[in-house]
Amino acid sequence: MTEVEGKKEETETAKKIVHTYPLIRHSDMMEEMKGEVMELVVTACEKHSTNNEMAARMIKETMDKKFGPSWHTVVGEGFGFEISYECKNLLYMFFGGNLAICIWKCS
Amino acid sequence: MPPKKTQGVGSGTAKVTSLKVVKGKGGSGKTTSDIAVTDELDSWMKTKQMIRPEDQVELNEQDLKEEITRVLTMQNPQIPSNIVEFSFKEGRFTPVPPVTQTILLLEIEGTILCKDSDEAKFQLEGNLDFEDQDKSMKRNSEELNEIILEDENAEKENTEIEYEGKEDENEIAKEGEDKQGEGGGGGGGGEGEGEGEEEAEVVSAVPTKQAPGGSAHFIKSGAKKLTNQFNFCERGALTYNNPFRNLETQTVPPPRANFAGQVMQWIIYDAYQQDFEVQQREKEKEKKDKVVPNQKPEAKRKDLQATADISNRTLLAIKTLERMINQNTFDEIAQDYRYWEDPSDEYRDEEGTLLPLWKFVYEKTKKNSVTALVWNPCYYDLFAVAFGCFDFMKPQPEGAMCLFTLKNPSFPEYVCSTETGVMCVDIHPTHPALVCIGKYDGSVAVYDVHSPGKLPQCESNSVTNKHCGVVWQVRWGIDMPDGEVNFFSVSADGNVYNWVLTQHELSQTLIISLFFSFDPIPGPDGTLIPLTGCGTTIAFHPTERLIFLVGTEEGSVYKCSTAYASLYLATYEAHHMPVYKVDYNKFCPDIFISCSADWRAKIWEDTRSDPLFVFDLGCEIADVEWAPYSSTVFAAVTNDGKVHVFDLNVNKYRPICVQAVVNRKRNRLTRIAFNHKLPIIIVGDDRGCITALKLSPNLRKKVKPPKKGPVLTERELELMKLEKLLALVREPPTPTPLPDYPAPVDS
Repeated sequence: MTEVEGKKEETETAKKIVHTYPLIRHSDMMEEMKGEVMELVVTACEKHSTNNEMAARMIKETMDKKFGPSWHTVVGEGFGFEISYECKNLLYMFFGGNLAICIWKCS
Repeated sequence: MPPKKTQGVGSGTAKVTSLKVVKGKGGSGKTTSDIAVTDELDSWMKTKQMIRPEDQVELNEQDLKEEITRVLTMQNPQIPSNIVEFSFKEGRFTPVPPVTQTILLLEIEGTILCKDSDEAKFQLEGNLDFEDQDKSMKRNSEELNEIILEDENAEKENTEIEYEGKEDENEIAKEGEDKQGEGGGGGGGGEGEGEGEEEAEVVSAVPTKQAPGGSAHFIKSGAKKLTNQFNFCERGALTYNNPFRNLETQTVPPPRANFAGQVMQWIIYDAYQQDFEVQQREKEKEKKDKVVPNQKPEAKRKDLQATADISNRTLLAIKTLERMINQNTFDEIAQDYRYWEDPSDEYRDEEGTLLPLWKFVYEKTKKNSVTALVWNPCYYDLFAVAFGCFDFMKPQPEGAMCLFTLKNPSFPEYVCSTETGVMCVDIHPTHPALVCIGKYDGSVAVYDVHSPGKLPQCESNSVTNKHCGVVWQVRWGIDMPDGEVNFFSVSADGNVYNWVLTQHELSQTLIISLFFSFDPIPGPDGTLIPLTGCGTTIAFHPTERLIFLVGTEEGSVYKCSTAYASLYLATYEAHHMPVYKVDYNKFCPDIFISCSADWRAKIWEDTRSDPLFVFDLGCEIADVEWAPYSSTVFAAVTNDGKVHVFDLNVNKYRPICVQAVVNRKRNRLTRIAFNHKLPIIIVGDDRGCITALKLSPNLRKKVKPPKKGPVLTERELELMKLEKLLALVREPPTPTPLPDYPAPVDS
């Protein structure tokens, strides 16, 4: 698990520290690819902070352009998943304290 | 009109070398010579003044400027042009054709046409009929090759006639085109080609049939492309194309895997918390790592700067640690050493015990015997041990002088190895760091324990400055008036030397040479050799420092003085065998004790030639010493490993304690020493082992001060005790017989 930034936010309920930095939960990708994708995800989620679908769409389309067709993206706060993916093309990460993003490639 | 100067020919502007000449008389018949002359003259005379001949025609300027071209032609103008000749045949004058003035050497047909001429225009327009026909003819039939060659040859030879012929061809071609279209044109073209009409016809006949196919191609070609009609040849070809074949395959698809997971708000939160903790831990570790490497280089620098200090301190620390460890190890013994008092002594009257405490052993000296034991006068826990060898038959092992301390029973505090055995040792009473030793080979040395080196502070020269025999005992003497330390040594060669330590040198003085009172015995070669005794021990009078006692191997004890080198003050025929030790009583200097190999220990009084007490211990007595705390207690060690402690106050005849300290069969006790302060004795044996023993209370009974009476010091009490004792022992003064009184006669 690697971190790029560390942010602390103290919410209104005292003594609760909420971390919003991107936190990779599971990843199969190469290092460079991972970094790029993480940045992309952060950008997308910050841009479409209210609309998960738009964020997912942005991520998916950018991934298709950059790394080839047939990427799939899920952005949400609560879901379960079971997927088949091409090896070395999976990223599962948290962001923003309550968002989970899962990106994989499968053509 | 500007005056002009001309000569010969009226020439207009000067310097005219061209053919352009002002129109004047003479017209075109002028020769070049005239012009040249004019030029020369003109260049010579640069004036513009021109002299005009009078008969020159006057022209207006316009006419003057008119340029007249002169042409050089072949025609000879002088030749009459109408020469006739009478021809008899015809009977009239016929004109003679003019002789041509030209001879044609070479004529080459050119292909350049004037752009403006009709033919050129015709060509440019793209009307290439006659050219096409030529090409088609050449291409389509190989039969035409000969004709073509002939045509070409004919072309070369042709003169103007061909040229004209071509013109005709064009015309014919045009006509042909009009009439027959292509075919006619082809025929016309064919006719024009060759010289012979017949041939041309034939030629034309053949190609006309074939031409239409060929010429059809080229009428439609581009307008501007003018190619050489004789050499250019366009030809197309198509290479062989390999046939196509289809091949299909499918690659292995990229590997796939399954992945499953669940997302809940609490899962996300927990993950973040965990990660944060890990982050914190790492930060702390980083801080620690930064601190530690900073300390290490600093530590290194410090070490480099002050290694000595640290080494000293570490040594001290290590020493303390060692002692602590020893204390812990020998904890029970340490407790006993201090606090144990044998309670059974209460019940055993007149008997005491020796409680064994520690055993001091030094590995390297295990083969040696303990030849001397001396307690340090200043430090009650420090004692010096001399390791040597008593066995004179075997080769001597190396010896050593060690300083042990009770605080560290495991290892000596100070070790000083020597090549030969050390037979005796003494510590200076006031300079506790100075230790003098006497060695087996007769040399003596003084060591300074404080100095870090292991070398003696000074050593006696091994040739001249030494004893000739084993140095049996050394004793420090009183400091010289100058403050130099000195010591005495007695050796087997019968000499007693006094050594003075002067700035790293030992200077010796012979105090006395022990001589026998016997007559000199004749030696092997007849000379009389005075016999000398072998001194074995020396003891100084506690109060009178000039007096000392010397014990010899012959068994006699001499009382000597440092002042007198040849006289004995007194002689005691003490023993039959070598006297091993002589010791003065610590309280009463008139009393001393001697022990010998003849199993006996005797107590003497200074003035008496007979011993006061004689004790037979049943075995050779190796050493004897008075106790420092009591005037009536002394202890002796025997070769059978026993320690005998006597208290004369308690029992005059028998020891109050006899204890076997070491294994009888293996070890023999060689030396004994009382500690000044503590009720401890150390006993050395011939295995290099020193045993420390504690005296039980019975052994150290002290005189109780009388409850009444003047307050007396311990010493005085002891003295009194001793006196009492001695009074008992001393022979009563022989009572002078009373004068016989006449007895009353009673018959």
